[in-house]
Amino acid sequence: MDPVAVLGQILVGLSRAMILFIVAAGLSLVLGVLRVPNVFHGSLYMIGAFVAWTVAEAMGEHPARLWAALVAAPLATAAVGLVVERTLLCRLYQREHLMLILFTFGVMLILNDLVKLGWGPTYRSLVPPEALQGSVSVLGVALPRYNLVLLLAGPLVATALWLFAHRTRIGKIARAAATDREMVAVLGIDVGRVFAVAFGVGCLLAGLGGALVAPTTSITLGMDHTLLIESFLIVIIGGLGNLWGALVGSLLFGVAHSVGLLIWPQFAIAFPYAITAGVLLLRPQGLLRSVW
Amino acid sequence: MRTRRLAVLAILGMVAVTAPRAGAGPSLRFERNIKVGIVDTYSGPPAVFGNDALNGFRLALEEINREGVHGARIEFVTRDEKFSPEIGLSMARELVLQERVDLLVGTISSATALAISAFAREQRVPFLVWISKSEQITGAKGHRYVFSTSENTAMAGKALAYALARRGYTRFWIGAEDYEYGHAVTNSFWRFMKRAKPEATLLGQTWWRTGEPDLVPYLTQILQARPDAAFFGTGGAGMANVLRTMKVIGFAERVPSAIHTAIDVTVLRPLGAAAPEDVWGTTDYLFYYPETPANREFVRRFQTAYRDPPGFPAFHGYITAHFIAEAYRRARSLDRERFIEALEGLRIRTPVGEVEMRACDHQATLPLFFGRTKRDPQFPFLVAGDLMTVPAREVMPTCEDIQRARTQGR
Repeated sequence: MDPVAVLGQILVGLSRAMILFIVAAGLSLVLGVLRVPNVFHGSLYMIGAFVAWTVAEAMGEHPARLWAALVAAPLATAAVGLVVERTLLCRLYQREHLMLILFTFGVMLILNDLVKLGWGPTYRSLVPPEALQGSVSVLGVALPRYNLVLLLAGPLVATALWLFAHRTRIGKIARAAATDREMVAVLGIDVGRVFAVAFGVGCLLAGLGGALVAPTTSITLGMDHTLLIESFLIVIIGGLGNLWGALVGSLLFGVAHSVGLLIWPQFAIAFPYAITAGVLLLRPQGLLRSVW
Repeated sequence: MRTRRLAVLAILGMVAVTAPRAGAGPSLRFERNIKVGIVDTYSGPPAVFGNDALNGFRLALEEINREGVHGARIEFVTRDEKFSPEIGLSMARELVLQERVDLLVGTISSATALAISAFAREQRVPFLVWISKSEQITGAKGHRYVFSTSENTAMAGKALAYALARRGYTRFWIGAEDYEYGHAVTNSFWRFMKRAKPEATLLGQTWWRTGEPDLVPYLTQILQARPDAAFFGTGGAGMANVLRTMKVIGFAERVPSAIHTAIDVTVLRPLGAAAPEDVWGTTDYLFYYPETPANREFVRRFQTAYRDPPGFPAFHGYITAHFIAEAYRRARSLDRERFIEALEGLRIRTPVGEVEMRACDHQATLPLFFGRTKRDPQFPFLVAGDLMTVPAREVMPTCEDIQRARTQGR
């Protein structure tokens, strides 16, 4: 097998993994801190893509259109998430997981209908700036320029999340709440506020993922489905609620898919799922420690 | 006495001569309206195609209902099948058994069209397929009750194969979406490519599931293989995804690519600046070509009614309605079997010229247009350049081919 081809596919796989990581990290954060399996996380990702498109369209040919979209979309999805959390979800934390799944599933249906009402059923396209179109040569590999942005975005987000979790007071409390929420409450800390911030950050990440993916795909209703399933699988193989687990899971998932295309193109779709099955057979608790 | 008998005979003779004419004239009136049941996709990405087809159908009904068909109007009821064969089939069942429609029309999904086709055969209800393109519909799985007013994958694959074979490419790669249409169009393309150019080799194939969000890894993998040309078996929203990914990674500049319907306005308009130039494509309808008075008039009326120019689904919707009206006029009856007999071999005038509903396979004889995407300052989206018309007789399977496919298909 041509080593350049393998390297090319690894790089493309890594850039796809970055999107998966950003979205799965949000899901994992909400799972870890709030213990909520958020089924409408995928809808927020879709809303992020649609908002990004709307902002970019509104700015016409402005050179900063993509960057404005990348800022506006996560803020919009964080706002949607916070409204749902503060008005409804916060009343349900004591309920069992099945109830939370049903509730977030219901929100997903409503959000998806709202997207249909707001943007209609047709697909949209967000064109990246001229400078980010086409390919560049990296070690002899023709790598799409936009994928370089994704390759940079992943580590940036991972670093920001690490700083949030380890260097901010609220991040430290959130980590403590993930492990023992009763103890945190006993210490007189307003757990509700911590939960709201963690949920908002989780939703922000979903929107950021949607905005980042928008220039590489058709923005359509239903774009949330595949990603939601993949994100849940990544969170499960990485270890529930473990952010680094989400990173490892995403890298495994993204690279397995893209390198699988070189090995057996007709069945490349099956590679990441086969790896997931393998991990779950060998380590049912996930690759890294689960906080559950 | 003799004169009286002669007079009576003369009167009887006159009655005998004029009676059938009286029936043929405007005095024949259907006792009720004609009811068409439409099943198509109006939600999700394929809705663009479903809505366009319905608009073309509506426009034609306005023309038809002005004078009516033997005094009757054509009415329709429509259902959203959400791109699912199961839902589509239950909708068709409901339309036939509850709504009591005279005939069925639909769909964009080839899988749904095939499911409804089997049901139409069992119920003996005529079913006119207007957008789905699997050649199986009027080929191996064709029967008395199913008709197609759309070109099919056998025709498209052949047109593209012959056009590309002339361009000196020999090493190909096929990338396609893993569903009925993807398989049908790639099979047809490769079958005819081997026939046109026996030395052509297939370096490899890449398949992805329908709705696959990120095609970058698939296309970079094809780039790494360095084929002379790539053929893509995808349509609708899937193709929009292929085209935009091509644009983002600069694919078409490095590997010449061909996709059926890539030059169609329904695909290129929503993509706007996100579509790549120099992609080869075929379609059976373009609003700006051929520049005939009939086409210009159709476009003008469609734009007045719906603002945007018609895409290929609108054209199919439009000619489907005219085929239905003409067949009922000819059948002079609301009887389903008489309608089918009238539709077989029927020729109508359309914006692209005269089209016949071929009797042997119930396939409309549509010409195809071959060209490649290019920018044009007149339009805010890409259009087709270097256009070439491929007449229907050059790309349609022969009636013997159809007979053979149907015998093998059973």
